[in-house]
This record gives sequence, structure tokens and C-alpha cells, in this order.
Amino acid sequence: MTITVALVGNGGIGTQDHQNSMYRPAFERHPGFQVVGSVDEAEVLSIALPLAERGKAVADAIRAGKHVLADKPLAATLAEALEIERLAAEHRVVVVPAHHQRFGAALRSATAAVRAGRVGLPWNVQCDFVVAGGDPAPTGELVNFGLYPVDVVRALLGLEVRRVHATGSPDLVTLLLDHDHGVTSTIVCGRVPALRDLPPGGLAVHRYRISGSHGVLAVDARKPALQVRTTNTNGPVWTGPGTVDALLDVVAAGVASGRAAIGPHDAVQAQRVIEAAQRSIEAGQPVETGE
Amino acid sequence: MDRIGIVLVGAGFIADAHSGAIDADPRATLIGIVDADPGRAAAFARKQGGIRHAPDLDTALQWPGVDAVILCTPNDTHAPIGLAVAAAGKHLLVEKPLATTVADARRLARAFDAADTVLVAAHTHRFYDYGRAVKQTIESGSIGRPRLVRLAILGGWIWPDWSAWVGDPDRSGGHALHNGVHLLDLATWWLGQEPTEIFARGRKQTAAELRIYDYLEMVVTYADGATAVCEMSRAHRPGSLAQRELLVAGSEGIVEQGWDGESSLVFGEAGTATLPAAGGNGFAAQLGAWLDAIGGAPPLMPVADAVRAVVLGVAVEESIVTGKPVAVTA
Ligand SMILES: NC(=O)c1ccc[n+]([C@@H]2O[C@H](COP(=O)([O-])OP(=O)(O)OC[C@H]3O[C@@H](n4cnc5c(N)ncnc54)[C@H](O)[C@@H]3O)[C@@H](O)[C@H]2O)c1
Repeated sequence: MTITVALVGNGGIGTQDHQNSMYRPAFERHPGFQVVGSVDEAEVLSIALPLAERGKAVADAIRAGKHVLADKPLAATLAEALEIERLAAEHRVVVVPAHHQRFGAALRSATAAVRAGRVGLPWNVQCDFVVAGGDPAPTGELVNFGLYPVDVVRALLGLEVRRVHATGSPDLVTLLLDHDHGVTSTIVCGRVPALRDLPPGGLAVHRYRISGSHGVLAVDARKPALQVRTTNTNGPVWTGPGTVDALLDVVAAGVASGRAAIGPHDAVQAQRVIEAAQRSIEAGQPVETGE
Repeated sequence: MDRIGIVLVGAGFIADAHSGAIDADPRATLIGIVDADPGRAAAFARKQGGIRHAPDLDTALQWPGVDAVILCTPNDTHAPIGLAVAAAGKHLLVEKPLATTVADARRLARAFDAADTVLVAAHTHRFYDYGRAVKQTIESGSIGRPRLVRLAILGGWIWPDWSAWVGDPDRSGGHALHNGVHLLDLATWWLGQEPTEIFARGRKQTAAELRIYDYLEMVVTYADGATAVCEMSRAHRPGSLAQRELLVAGSEGIVEQGWDGESSLVFGEAGTATLPAAGGNGFAAQLGAWLDAIGGAPPLMPVADAVRAVVLGVAVEESIVTGKPVAVTA
């Protein structure tokens, strides 16, 4: 049984069109989905509207009983995200925010390893999420992709963020997060200029170090990859399913079971951190995420 | 030219690195060793082929041919012994930190300025191959204006037991002064900017009863908006871990050296370990630069930078206690 999906919108932040660059091709190659032309026929809506319109469209889709894959961020504000979380529960539909980075192959096994106690009790995570080239987001990169590493760190630790200190600039920001149990994490996130042999908007650095009471786990999230060098090129070639393919597996499993591995609550929690970081930059002080 | 005659004070862990550097430099000669523990002084002297030894600096300053002192005693002794060296009109290479308080650091700077002798603090990482290579890369302009430094020096517990002076904040100044200054100075030197603010977090990871933070995370903000994130750890497991990682992001490119950027890996029966590459001798380069400065060259590690490292280290300790950013002016 394939799941029908309709593609809604082809905008985002700035010049983004993730619908056509990411979601459409992934749906088209995924054996579990069939892309249909009309919203009425679809069980799932893939929503990639400009950020200002996105939250309302997601809410309308939920009210119409549709499951949703939503481009990130799920909504422009925490209030909107909270409303979506409430609606999704009320209408018993699956809403998957496109936090696809946590489903990268290296990060999935890292999360499982941390949960299994391979490094003992984790006490710190360090992350670098640095994109090279591509169009800078007019909102600043904190709002654009800050949620990716925040979401990964939440997934790795399974711990919420209580306090945020942010410093740097919105296009290259350092987030110092305090979690429960005295666990800390630090995320450097942003965009640097285009680098040779990297596709525009590609990840130049994407790594995590999880330090625990009994060991250290160093994750290069740009792997698994081959290193291919030719006369004219030098670069990594990702092996295995991509992160967006893995995200669609999550959507499919969610539609089948009624419960997805990631949901609007994850978007709410990430949004809390991003908004706290914005307040922290303004105040020049650490701020509580305030739950 | 006569060789510069040096007295080494403190025959402990780091003394061999300095005596080795002296032995390798034809411009210098090791005249003798001072250690408050006479047995340690005598043993060190024997190992060095029977050089002079004494339990106090005053005696050593009377020995003929003494031009300069290398001080490798616990951190809280740097100020009093350093001031005595200045008063005697000798040059000084003092182990880091220059002092454990900002007032003492400034006092030392003034004393050597007044005596017109050369004071250099041993911020050895400036002289390591990687430290110099990163500085040269930035200065070449190839990565544009640097905006971010990420520097991590991670290891496991190395201090012997509860009696270790490093674990006593009154003696070592705390871990930010003891080891944190290495990274604070290096990142600041790389960026070539003045620091304006520190935000830091510390952990007592190995034991709750520790009086120093064995893991430090120190975030420095600079006048031009650049950021440095520095991690210093003696808290990691396994205890054999020895890892250094760096990333510098600039307006036109990035420089990276991951934990595997310098070392080979040994997959042995006892586990996996890194095998650092041999490379250059940072202590020899550091000594050479000090001798150059004694000869009149501009110092590669100016006194003002050593004072600034102490200012930053003190601010780190304050930020950890208050949980707030601390404004700094060097
Ligand atoms: N540059 C580096 O990379 C580096 C590395 C390690 C240590 N250090 C610095 O070197 C210094 C010494 O550290 P260490 O690990 O060798 O210490 P250590 O404890 O091994 O040795 C210190 C020696 O000083 C002697 N001593 C103590 N007080 C004295 C005094 N008042 N007069 C004379 N001798 C005295 C002790 O008896 C001991 O032999 C410290 O300032 C430390 O911060 C620097």
C-alpha cells in the first residue's frame, strides 16, 4: 500500500525551494509514497511554503485530517508551533518537522550508542554545524538551520535545554546550552563562504563529540562517505540512504502506526532554544528557555 | 659571544624539557639548578653531569656567569621568585602562568621593565608546530579575516593525588590559570584581536570534591566580534585520551586540524591509542626566542600578552562562579 502525498508550496526562507530540491525527489524515489496532483486525494501534505505562511498552512492541513511533512522550521514562532502541537494531538494526525539531520546514518547509531551507555553518563556534547556557500538566509542562519544541531543534540542526549547563552553573529553563532543533570553542550552553527570542491550550501564541518563518564564518542556526521579524488575534483560521496530518505521512512512508519519518531513537540522544543538564543544575543546574558 | 648562563629553578616535571632545550642551543649554558628540596636539586645536578645545585635562589644568584633564570616552580611562587630575579638584574623565562593574580602579573611586568631585563612567560603552544602553522596561515591572508576559533586540548586525569599542588587553587590559581591560559593566549594570538568578554563553564568531573575544574569551556569575545571557544580538559575518559582539535573559520576560508590531524593510531591489545608525530621541539624554539630577545630582538611572547593571559584566566574563574559573562580589559 503506497501513501499518497501532495506537494504544497515551493518557498521557504529567502530563495529556498526545498520542495523541489529535497522533498519531491525523495518522495519520487521512495517506494512507500506516490505523489498525487491534488490535495484532496492526498493522505500526506508536504508543506514547504514561505515561513510566514507555513504555520497557518500546517494548522489548516491538520484540521482537514491530513498528515504533514513540514519544511523546517515548522513555524515562525513558538506560539504557532505550540498551537500545531495541540492541533495534531487533537486531530490524531502525524506531523513530521523536517529535522532530517538527526536521521543521518552516523548520528542514528551514535544516538543508540549513547542510549546503550557506551560512553557512560554523558556530561558534554560539542557540535560544529558549518555550511559553506549557498544563499545566506535573510533571517540569519540561527533561525534558518540552528534547529538542526539543536535537534540532534536533544536526540543524542534525550535531555531538554533549560538555559541558553548565545554569542557571535546570527550568521555564525555559538550556543552554550545547559541541560538537565548538569549536562552541557556547545554548538557552533553558521555559514562560511563557498569552499572549493564543496557543493554550494554543503556542510563543511558537521561533527559531534559526546563526552561521558566512561568514554568519548567522536562522530563525523558527513560520513558514511567515500573520498573520491580525480584530476578535477576532490570530494566526499555519501554512501547509503540520505537523511531526507530516512526522514520519509519516519513519515511512512508514522502514518502506518499513528505515531512518528519525531513530531511537533520536537519542533516546539527546538524553537524554544532558538528564541532563547535570540533573547540571549540581545541581552548579552544567558537566558532560561522557560518551560 | 659568551654563552648566556642560566640557572633553572624547580627540578620537577617540566624542568627536563627546559634543560634539554638549553643543551641543544649553542648560545646557552646551564650553570646550575635550584630546588627547595635539596635531594631533588642534587639528583638533577648529577644527571646534568655535575652542575651546581642549591636549595635557594639567593645562593645561586651569587654563582659566577649567571645571566638569566628559568623558573619552573609551582604557580604561586612565580611572583616572589620572579621579583627577586628582577631585583638581581637577571633575565627571566617563567613558566606559565606569569602569576596567579592580575596584580602580581602587573608587578612583575613593571619590575622587569624597570630593570630593563627580558621577561618572557612560557606560553609554549605559540612555539609548537601547529600553533605556528595556524598563525602563519592566518597571517598569509588565505582565510580572510578570522571570525571563529575552536580549540580543544583534551586529556584524562594526570595529577597524582590529593596532595598535588595543581589541585590546590591557592597554589595553582585554579585550572584556568594553570592550563587554561595556554589556550586563551594561543587563540588570542591567532586572532590578533583584543578580548572584550569571557563566558565560561567548568566541571569537577573526576571527583565532586575537587577544588579545581578539571574540564573548562572558555568562550572569548573579541573587539571585532570574533569568538574563540576553548576547551581544556583533564577530565576525559579513558585516562589515556590525548586529543587536540582546532578549527578557524575566516571570511574567505577555514583551517581545520581534527584529532587525527597529527597523530597515527595504534590498534593494540590494550586498546586504541594515538601516536603523536615527532615534529619540532617547542621548548627549544621558545628558548631560542627568549635568547633572541635577550640579544635585542622583539620578543615573540611580549610581557603584555602574558599579563593579558592572566587577566583572561582570572575572568574565566569569575565567570564560572557567577554563571555570567565577564567584561575584560587587558
Ligand atoms: N609550558 C608547559 O607546557 C608546562 C607544562 C607543565 C608545567 N608547566 C609549569 O611549570 C611549572 C612547574 O610545574 P611542574 O609540573 O614541573 O611542577 P612539579 O611539582 O613537578 O615541580 C616543581 C618543583 O619545584 C620545587 N619547588 C617548589 N617550590 C619551590 C621554591 N619556592 N623554590 C625552589 N623550588 C621549589 C619542587 O620541589 C619541585 O621539584 C608550573 O608553573 C607549571 O604551570 C608548564
